Amino acid sequence: MAIITTQNLSKIYNPDTIPVHALRDVSLEFEEGEFTTVRGPSGSGKTTLLNMIGGLDIPNEGFVEIDGTRITGMKDRELINFRLNNIGFVFQAYNLIPVFTAYENVSFIMLLQKREKSEMKERAEELLTAMGLSKKFDSRPKQLSGGEQQRVAVARALASRPKFILADEPTANLDTDSAMNLLDMMEKMNKEENVTFIFSTHDQRVIDRARRVITMVDGAIDKDERKSPPSKGESELSEQGDDSLS
Amino acid sequence: MLLSISWRNIWRHPARSGVLMMAIIAGLWAGILVTALTNGWIHQRFVNMIQEEITHVQIHHPEFLTEREPWMYIQNKDEIFRFLERDERVLSWSARTLTDGMIQSPLTTSGVQIRGVQIDRERATTTFHENLTTGDYLDSELRNPVLLGERLADKLNVEVGNRIVLTFQDLENEITSGSFTITGLFRTASNPYDERNVFVRSDDLQDLLAGEVVFHEIAILVDREELSDSVRTDLNYQFDQIIAETWYELSPELRYITDAGGNLIVYIMAVILLALAFGILNTMLMAIFERMRELGMLLAIGMSKLRVFVMIMMESVILTMTGAGGGLLLAWLTLGYLGEKGIDMTSMGGDSMAEFGYDAVVYPIAYTNDYVTTIILVVVTALLAAIYPAIKALRLNPGEVVRE
Ligand SMILES: Nc1ncnc2c1ncn2[C@@H]1O[C@H](COP(=O)(O)OP(=O)(O)OP(=O)(O)O)[C@@H](O)[C@H]1O
Ligand SMILES: [Mg+2]
Repeated sequence: MAIITTQNLSKIYNPDTIPVHALRDVSLEFEEGEFTTVRGPSGSGKTTLLNMIGGLDIPNEGFVEIDGTRITGMKDRELINFRLNNIGFVFQAYNLIPVFTAYENVSFIMLLQKREKSEMKERAEELLTAMGLSKKFDSRPKQLSGGEQQRVAVARALASRPKFILADEPTANLDTDSAMNLLDMMEKMNKEENVTFIFSTHDQRVIDRARRVITMVDGAIDKDERKSPPSKGESELSEQGDDSLS
Repeated sequence: MLLSISWRNIWRHPARSGVLMMAIIAGLWAGILVTALTNGWIHQRFVNMIQEEITHVQIHHPEFLTEREPWMYIQNKDEIFRFLERDERVLSWSARTLTDGMIQSPLTTSGVQIRGVQIDRERATTTFHENLTTGDYLDSELRNPVLLGERLADKLNVEVGNRIVLTFQDLENEITSGSFTITGLFRTASNPYDERNVFVRSDDLQDLLAGEVVFHEIAILVDREELSDSVRTDLNYQFDQIIAETWYELSPELRYITDAGGNLIVYIMAVILLALAFGILNTMLMAIFERMRELGMLLAIGMSKLRVFVMIMMESVILTMTGAGGGLLLAWLTLGYLGEKGIDMTSMGGDSMAEFGYDAVVYPIAYTNDYVTTIILVVVTALLAAIYPAIKALRLNPGEVVRE
């Protein structure tokens, strides 16, 4: 069974003045363990789609179901709690609490979930280490590079043990090396821990790393392509792609 | 953890938070000081009036205080004296013979209240004798000694050693008069009092007034002020030709200043905090507006609105209380110093204060209650001032905020 289903999702902004069709009849399914990117030109509806799936925006028509639970129509309070316990978020910027250290930012979400203290500590340390930040536990966001900040954000998203992680243009503010490094980390988590990722991007090198590529045009799904499961050959191929670009 | 975010958020802009804290420190310091000064005034006035003359409980003929007729004296005085002698709550008491009359000097005349006192009892019960500035108290060898207020002596153009004539009605409504020698002059904190009252021995006054022992007033000092009510009640129950009243009933002025003084801190702080509230509101609004993205992110990842609300409220309360703590501490230290030394108000118009019966040197007093009330009011202000910014934050639509 799909962990995410969107059924005939439509979103119209400003229906009364100058209507903008941000989503047109989008029906999609996502399986556990997928590593999917949503691509498309600016204004094609990528953010709108991710916000719908993440329960941050409400569709005019259609609905979203996560693991059999319909989140469309949930009450505000219920929805916030649902997001906390089921969805990991990584945004393009402003992901972290500036007055908290990397370690505190990661622990914070588990604190909101009322996890055990000992579990919190263990998991925060484990995730930050996995993200290559073992020396940055006590650094505040300002003392971290853009790439490091985004890796803290991924660690934070993972810390809550979500069903999947939504990342809207997570690499948009990063240089190529940092972007690829972030993708490495995400890919590693996807492969090793079967974490489901859905991320949007403009960046062809990032798109190349995905195993499913959804292309949006003007609020509608234009293409939905799946690559065969990663084989040795393919991973070599993507690495070659990296080299040729840098 | 919320506490920790709130605390650290305050220090994101040390200058901005610092300025607000300084304003709060200055405001509360001034507020407490003004309150303490007024408390001091009230307390001193209270002590003066209680100790110098009113005492805690007084007994009169039921109509004496309104009619002031000479024949309205206390009939059953001996029983009452015995009662007072036995009652352990009573520290001391003094009986007074009172009448209204005229004082006459070679130069002019003036209306006065003539107070005939029992010298030794009066001295044990009140501190009036300490107000003597020139001459001796009434226990002089002279016949018919009298004490005048300095101001009255000035007005009559007389001094110690001069003689004056007191004229009044006796018990038979006959006009009678006597010649008295000025043995001393006094000055109390109240100028009007000094102009209106003269003191003689009750024995001397009784001779002229009645030819027998009559008292119009018994002033009673009890062990502790709190006992006043019960002594008053017992006296009224025990004796039916008299009425006993406490200082609270006797003196409209004391009643007024003690009643108003109790709420003083609330009035003063309300004004100061109203002004500070706008500063807090402004600071919190700035803090919220510049953090819209961050707050949107927190709501997006699943921080409940209640928690966001509490976080903002705590930020406001902590910010305000840090300043308030400083202000109260500073006030406390200042008062520790001034409470002993006192503030001489003479240069600030202390003389005119004497017109109303208030001392020129004031010893400020801040009661624990004043600090507690202030803290409660500060917290309430901090919460009220943060509600609007907090609601703004809760209205955020995380989907919109995280775009970009
Ligand atoms: N709050 C809004 N009010 C009106 N129109 C909106 C609003 N949010 C988005 N839109 C419009 O909806 C359409 C889809 O926007 P969306 O942000 O989803 O695009 P996108 O694919 O994420 O673009 P980008 O690559 O620039 O991030 C755009 O035309 C945008 O202008
Ligand atoms: Mg977008």
